[in-house]
Amino acid sequence: MWAIARTELKKTIQDKGLWFWTFVLPVIFIVAFVAIFSGDESQSYKEVVTQIIPGYTIMFAFFIMISMVIAFVKDRERGMVARIASTPLSIHHYFFGKWLPFIIIVLIQIAVLFGFGVVVYDLPLGNPLALILLSLSLAFIVTGWGMAMAVIVRTENMGIALTQILALGGALLGGLWMPVEFMPEVVQNISKALPQYWALQGYKEVILSNGGMADIWLNVLILVLAGVAGGIIALLSYPRFLRQSRS
Amino acid sequence: MISVENINKQYGSVQALDSISFKIEEGTCFGLVGPNGAGKSTLMKILSGILLNFNGDIQVREWKVSKDRLKIKQQIGYIPQEICLEDTLTAQDNLILFGNLYGLKGKALQLRIDEVLDQIGLKDRAKDKVITFSGGMKRRLNIGCALLHKPSIIIMDEPTVGIDPQSRNSIFSIIHQLKAEGSTIIYSSHYMEEVEQLCDSIGLIDKGQLMEIGRMEELLEKYAMPSLFISGDNIETEMLQRFGKVESKGNGYLLNSDDPLLTLEKLVTYCREHRIEPRRLELYHPRLEDIFFNLTGTQLRDA
Repeated sequence: MWAIARTELKKTIQDKGLWFWTFVLPVIFIVAFVAIFSGDESQSYKEVVTQIIPGYTIMFAFFIMISMVIAFVKDRERGMVARIASTPLSIHHYFFGKWLPFIIIVLIQIAVLFGFGVVVYDLPLGNPLALILLSLSLAFIVTGWGMAMAVIVRTENMGIALTQILALGGALLGGLWMPVEFMPEVVQNISKALPQYWALQGYKEVILSNGGMADIWLNVLILVLAGVAGGIIALLSYPRFLRQSRS
Repeated sequence: MISVENINKQYGSVQALDSISFKIEEGTCFGLVGPNGAGKSTLMKILSGILLNFNGDIQVREWKVSKDRLKIKQQIGYIPQEICLEDTLTAQDNLILFGNLYGLKGKALQLRIDEVLDQIGLKDRAKDKVITFSGGMKRRLNIGCALLHKPSIIIMDEPTVGIDPQSRNSIFSIIHQLKAEGSTIIYSSHYMEEVEQLCDSIGLIDKGQLMEIGRMEELLEKYAMPSLFISGDNIETEMLQRFGKVESKGNGYLLNSDDPLLTLEKLVTYCREHRIEPRRLELYHPRLEDIFFNLTGTQLRDA
């Protein structure tokens, strides 16, 4: 398991695209949108940065799914899935080894983007434990869904397209681009079915209202359950994924 | 002893393997031959523990695959047809990955990596990224990754596809070395001459069924005795039929008879008397392909 995790991490670090999607582009978006919306008199500066920084952090966290899709589909097309299945490594350890580096990358991404927010925009962080728990839950759900998507999709392009629908559609409907309160009631109801909504509401609770663990437990539970569902789908889809692997 | 007992595998309505049973003596090289879609790869995947959903059982020494899958996997080194390497990592990193997957660590792993790199002739390229390797070097590293844990059974699925003759020879010498060390090798290939050259016994598979199994000499004796090959401008089937059973082969004919040498003598006399000058007239030693043809009525290469 650790061998798979180490190898995946080494490979992933070399991927320049990942660095761009994970760190460079989110920073550009945050800078641009804070500049645009900080002149808005209807919202305080604190509300603006609390909407934009966690919002874009959540949105770009979902883009890790692209890297996961590429990693799994490549494994399948090169026959690595079948090759690893011929070794004594169990399926659970294979998935854990593949998953671990991506969860680390998402956690680093959240830390870097929030750190950027603190240094540049004086973003308050609230209760650190609640913030860490929420961030772990966010990293868990995006990588859990990423794993499910990576195992299910037939091609890289299909995975990239679906990720964009999930990340951008979820960002729009989940209130990452503008507060859900400004949206029609129907959309507000839809947004409650999206993990993006629960992640953002959790961060707002911690940052704006100084919320603690007791205030975000439902958000954490929903994110973790959604992540577990992704993991179960990935495990159940593994036999088909293995059959499709070259060998 | 590896014992394969009544293996059946179905993909939807397609019967990929139909009641396959055979035994392989330890320390021998067993060749699996058949056209594309015959069921070779499915059988190789089952033998290497990749495909788990099948009927029947496989026994390796005292272990049964249904009960002792992990113990059997530890004994097997699988060399797939695809080159399963991490291109962006070094040869050493790839070997570490596969060594770790078989439970090798630390100094013991490094020692084995050095030995394997020496064995596959890549010691001076250990720190280079695989992406910079030639096809032959990648194939050798692909083999090396399966040898780290010193498996007693090595399963090779078309290990020489798409490489130059020099690399092929290099792979052959690795295989000969493994044979000399007493490894059991299960070898699948489209190249008949490779199977003839390397394998002690051969299994012929077609449409999911094991048509025949045996040592090369036994199969030849049973299905394809030496015959005569003749070609030339005035050579016709009617003329040859008086000497034995005739079948066309390439640009000439194969003449089968109980005593090819005697038939050769008679044919030479006949040609002299009738002033026929064959372009080629020779004893023809049948190959694996001929055995397969005699068994199935189809050519291996275009089946």
